[in-house]
Amino acid sequence: MNGVENSDAPFMVELERFQGPLHLLLHLIREQEFDIFDIPIHNITDQFLVAVKGIGAGQLDSAGEFLEMAATLIRIKAQMLLPRPVETDGEDPRAELVRRLLEYEQIREITQRMERAEAERARRRPKGYLEDRPRPSPEELPLETTWEEVLAAAMGVKTPEPVDREHRVTPRTVSMEEKAILILDRLSRDSGVEFGSLLTSVQDDVQRMHGVMTFLAGLELSRRRRVHLRQTRPFHELWLYRRDEPGSGAGAVDDEFSDGIDDFAARVRAGALPAPTPEDQS
Amino acid sequence: MKPDQIVEAVLFASDAPLRPDEIARADESLDEDAVEGALARLKTFYLESERAFQLVEVAEGYQLLTEPRFAAYLDRLETVPRPSRLSGPALEALAIIAYRQPIGRVEVEYVRGVGSSGVIRTLQDRGLIDVVGRGEGLGRPLLYGTTNYFLQHFGFRSLDDLPRPDELPVILRDRTTPILPEEEEVQQDEVHQEDLQLDDVTVEEAR
Repeated sequence: MNGVENSDAPFMVELERFQGPLHLLLHLIREQEFDIFDIPIHNITDQFLVAVKGIGAGQLDSAGEFLEMAATLIRIKAQMLLPRPVETDGEDPRAELVRRLLEYEQIREITQRMERAEAERARRRPKGYLEDRPRPSPEELPLETTWEEVLAAAMGVKTPEPVDREHRVTPRTVSMEEKAILILDRLSRDSGVEFGSLLTSVQDDVQRMHGVMTFLAGLELSRRRRVHLRQTRPFHELWLYRRDEPGSGAGAVDDEFSDGIDDFAARVRAGALPAPTPEDQS
Repeated sequence: MKPDQIVEAVLFASDAPLRPDEIARADESLDEDAVEGALARLKTFYLESERAFQLVEVAEGYQLLTEPRFAAYLDRLETVPRPSRLSGPALEALAIIAYRQPIGRVEVEYVRGVGSSGVIRTLQDRGLIDVVGRGEGLGRPLLYGTTNYFLQHFGFRSLDDLPRPDELPVILRDRTTPILPEEEEVQQDEVHQEDLQLDDVTVEEAR
């Protein structure tokens, strides 16, 4: 930073001439015919800082961008002083700046060409008296069409080729029938069982899957009138109770399922049972 | 009514370039081929009869425009509107958007090295650019692209008329040391899926 004071920068620049810090930097490099791939960062940083010092109070809007570039230059300068390990393919601290400068130089060139195209086009005039104006976008135009056009468009629609969709079926790791047997087994000994107690033997990491399947099994058994489900209050523990005389009370209604749980399990495996619908769970 | 006359009338009365399919909507007797034929005949006719206006291909369509050599005469009259010109910053931002579209404001600012929300708004107000989508990432930034009016303003037939980076005069010096990391260039290309890769700055010759 001290170098700024002593710097005898040969180039005085007026900042207003430049679109921004990249423009100024590019100008400094090109005017002095520095190699852009080997920017003398010390020299350039000093010159840049001198130029930035000239920013007046009236240009504070753009000052931030110039100061940011100055900070970048100083950072690069500092990095250049640090030894870089050669074998680790250490990137030149100037690389990103060089890339930006080259890109910006291209944009400058393109901008100048577009300016010439604009000037050339301005010498050709359309039929007069109308303001130069953009055309309304297609979305803003009212849709005007005929049935013939609609028909033609419809006929033009190609039916998509039927694609063989691949659908991967993941086997259930926990079966519902197993849980149904577990519930009935427990209820053959006790008249009621706490839902949570059915999960005590299950490891924590698979608890969720077992919990879901046990719950579904409970719902299914309830639907088939083999158990009662009781919950005294919302979010309280769920209890499952044996229904007296399985098959007898429900027999009339549930005749086709009265063969017992083995048949039920077989049907579930064969996929013959309908999935529980929301009203089953109500 | 001859098809050529219908086409001529439509061209005369329109204040913007028209595509052949648009002109064809003027009459049931016209289709795109008929219009193309009429346009070719009119073009030759205007050229051979040395009209002060000519049929010019612009913005993916056709428009009747005066010959450039008459501009000086037109400028003397108040009633002849003068085309507006863009400011330097606006042109610069527009050049970046034209080559990198679709592109967000932040990328434009990075290439220019200066804040650009003002010029982008101006360009949008003037109908030269428009929002063409939203980008990925934080806040789903608006992406801008050029409009058909952009082509009109610069007298381009299509975006292919933009100067190609590879036909620009070689302005880069010999690249002696591999300063630019290769991966970074590749990355940049992926980020900006442009047709004309500004990032493909080929560094070959000294000026």
